[in-house]
Amino acid sequence: MATRSQTAAVLLAGALALAACGSGGGSQTPAASGGGGKTLVIDTSFDLKTADPGRTYEPTGLIVGKAVYETLLTFDGADVTKPVPALAESYELSKDGKILTLKLKKGATFADGSPLTADDVVFSLTRVRDMKGTPSFLLDGVEVAKTDDSTITLTSKAPNPALPYILPNPALGILNSKVAKEHGATTDAQDKAEQYLNSASAGSGPYMIESFNVSSQVTLKANPKYYGTKPAYDKVVIRNVEAATQKLNVQRGDSQIALNLSGDQVTGMPATLQVKKTASANVIFLLANQDSAISKTTTNPKFVEAVRKGVDYAGLLELAGEGSAQAPGVIPSQLLGALPADQAAKRDVEGAKAALAASGVSNPTVKLEYPSELTVNGLSFQPLAERIQANLKEVGITVDLQPAPVTTALDNYRNGKEEMGLWYWGPDYPDPSDYLAFLPGKTVGLRAGWKAGAAKEIEAAGDKAATAIGDDARKAAYVDVQTKLNASGPFVPLIQPGQNIVTAASVTGLEYHPVWTVDVADLGVK
Amino acid sequence: MSDIPGEARRGRTRRTHPLVRFLIRRILLAVLMAWGITLVTFVLTNLVPGDPVAANLGQRALGDPAIVAQWRAEHGLDKPLWEQYVLHLQGLVHGDLGTSQQSHRPVSQDLAEFVPATLELAGAAILVSLVLGVAFGVIAALRRDRLSDHALRVLSLIGISVPTFWLALVAFYVFFYRLQLTPGSGRVDAALNGAVPAVSGLQTVDALLAGRWDVFSSAVGHLVTPALVLALYTIGLLTRFTRSAVLEVLGQDYVRAARAKGLPGRVILFRYVLRSALVPIITVAGLAFGSLLSGTVLVEAIFAWPGVGQYAYKSATTLDLPAVMGVGLVVGVVYLVINLIVDVLYGVIDPRVRLQ
Repeated sequence: MATRSQTAAVLLAGALALAACGSGGGSQTPAASGGGGKTLVIDTSFDLKTADPGRTYEPTGLIVGKAVYETLLTFDGADVTKPVPALAESYELSKDGKILTLKLKKGATFADGSPLTADDVVFSLTRVRDMKGTPSFLLDGVEVAKTDDSTITLTSKAPNPALPYILPNPALGILNSKVAKEHGATTDAQDKAEQYLNSASAGSGPYMIESFNVSSQVTLKANPKYYGTKPAYDKVVIRNVEAATQKLNVQRGDSQIALNLSGDQVTGMPATLQVKKTASANVIFLLANQDSAISKTTTNPKFVEAVRKGVDYAGLLELAGEGSAQAPGVIPSQLLGALPADQAAKRDVEGAKAALAASGVSNPTVKLEYPSELTVNGLSFQPLAERIQANLKEVGITVDLQPAPVTTALDNYRNGKEEMGLWYWGPDYPDPSDYLAFLPGKTVGLRAGWKAGAAKEIEAAGDKAATAIGDDARKAAYVDVQTKLNASGPFVPLIQPGQNIVTAASVTGLEYHPVWTVDVADLGVK
Repeated sequence: MSDIPGEARRGRTRRTHPLVRFLIRRILLAVLMAWGITLVTFVLTNLVPGDPVAANLGQRALGDPAIVAQWRAEHGLDKPLWEQYVLHLQGLVHGDLGTSQQSHRPVSQDLAEFVPATLELAGAAILVSLVLGVAFGVIAALRRDRLSDHALRVLSLIGISVPTFWLALVAFYVFFYRLQLTPGSGRVDAALNGAVPAVSGLQTVDALLAGRWDVFSSAVGHLVTPALVLALYTIGLLTRFTRSAVLEVLGQDYVRAARAKGLPGRVILFRYVLRSALVPIITVAGLAFGSLLSGTVLVEAIFAWPGVGQYAYKSATTLDLPAVMGVGLVVGVVYLVINLIVDVLYGVIDPRVRLQ
């Protein structure tokens, strides 16, 4: 048997090992805790691919793009109903809606101190369009030209009243064309500048990229040569953190902003933190396939009516938690042309039963497909689908839930093979024209098996909306489209889940923005 | 050992040393298996239902056939599967793992960034596990059926049965949030990130190389909780195996003989008992390292540790096939290397193994 001293020696070795590993652990203080710090730490679940503005189309990338690059036009705070000047001091849309003329502001400079010119604008916008990256479609069919050193014209073949609403997209940020070209930027698919743009900035924005890692952390530093108002924070660290950990970090002061907390997670937050609750611009909706080869049931208009009347919208809102709102139409509440809240559908179980009886389909069973692991603003599709199943059961419709991983589910959805589907649409740009995709023959319409010519009246209303010029005319036209869609279309708009942003008491000026979530340069220190 | 002096040496001059032959055989086998891994990862990743195009392009870009076609061509998805595999193999030979569809960077570059983070975490965990697991196992064996033995056995059982992700959540909550003993997410404090140039990729080593004590202590502080969480399972495993291995050796005649000769307990323990018990311990340690690598996926997620686990998860959920294959290959090769090390250690510890 071993002696006592041997045992003690082994134990001691173990204890020493533990102590060695533990050193330093207790001495840490969280970075930039409390107010007044010059470093701002933002925790978010990364959806990030690139820092090249011409390829950016993911939420996290847009936060970075907004901070590093400037666009011709922008939005003031959270108001997306009116584009305002940024690099362009003014803009004018021709009467036919085809020519947008922009006057460049004087004195704008890039981070290397060189002046921003009309040539940089032409190069940057042409590059986005012709490089065929994900955001290329934003400028499909738009010709970019310089008329003189301070005037740019954007010419579209068809009337394009949405263009001023598209231009603020950070994907259309203006590059320092000289620097970008030196690092492989071209205006075709051969462009090789992405690697460079992932490590350095060639923009004129208030921040510059200090370090960039697509899956862990992006660090921005203030641009010392920024010609506009200097941002309050010298350094902004954007970290990839799971929602549960985000909550603990911001509560402990390890970060100052948590972007992805669900409605449940923000209840009972201590008073020392600020919680900004707003409905997001994502609209969750049901689709009923209109292709009779896919379903004999969902093509029946009375069946769709029964679904529309059978869903318990208030119950869904309860499920979605704080900040969420019912979606009256497919266009989210923040955008021009959104339907007023009082036009939202209401539950009417008797009406639903009557519609089902009138449909002539008895005891229907339908398959509902949805992405099982997808969450939108912290809200998972699984409980939503289960709730809808229970709602429709009361009406007499049996819903057969068909969850699938999002990458698999997308296939059926895109190919228009789903009998019923539960999905969401986030605006590509904050203009109602983005929602014409829901009409027959268009992207989302086809996903619901709704072919061109299937609903002449709605299509005519859509054509009218697409070419309407002037805010009032456009607003009326899009309200009309949605009213018609709600009356006889295959879509049932459900809810806009809440976007809950938690910030430390020291952070001021935070606004939730439907395109770039948060403009870090707007944030202040209390 | 030969009884006749010099004979063993003479034998060696005529033929290669058995250990060298053993090594060559093992390495050749490892290369063959590495090729097998490339085939399996390629086939498996391409069997996944779902279209990487849908996972990688935005809703609007998908509506444009030109963008979709270009994307497919850019990523070689327009070629037949066998041709894709041949191209993949050709790339591998040249050290090219393809380009990630997510980050648009060479997969090898991505991995060079993420693998060291995981190795640092798993390495720290395996070190702690080896020291504590073996120590606990020896103590439990020497104090068989006494209170400390029972206590250690219960502890090891807990270590083995508690799910790692749950433990990670609890540890993060208790030590970081409640007790405020440990720092938060990531490998170093947010403000210190990138403060030292990446030489080895191991944050602690790089900090030392740069002479930055603040970064070093921050890195060690960030390492403690996730490494201990990861280690708990392997500590439990090693404690149990060491205990039974030591007990078995303690019952052998030669140990009893040594004890009867009156050799000091220390000598018996280190020269006789531990040496013989080492083979099963190494086996378990090698297997445990494998389980550590898979355990890191969830621990990395909870501690926002920018390692290969997070990269693998993101690649898998976005159907980033080149990245998935790259991760599969690297993890497979790490397993191979560990198995190789374990085999070689057998050969070193027990000469009989070399002859087999």
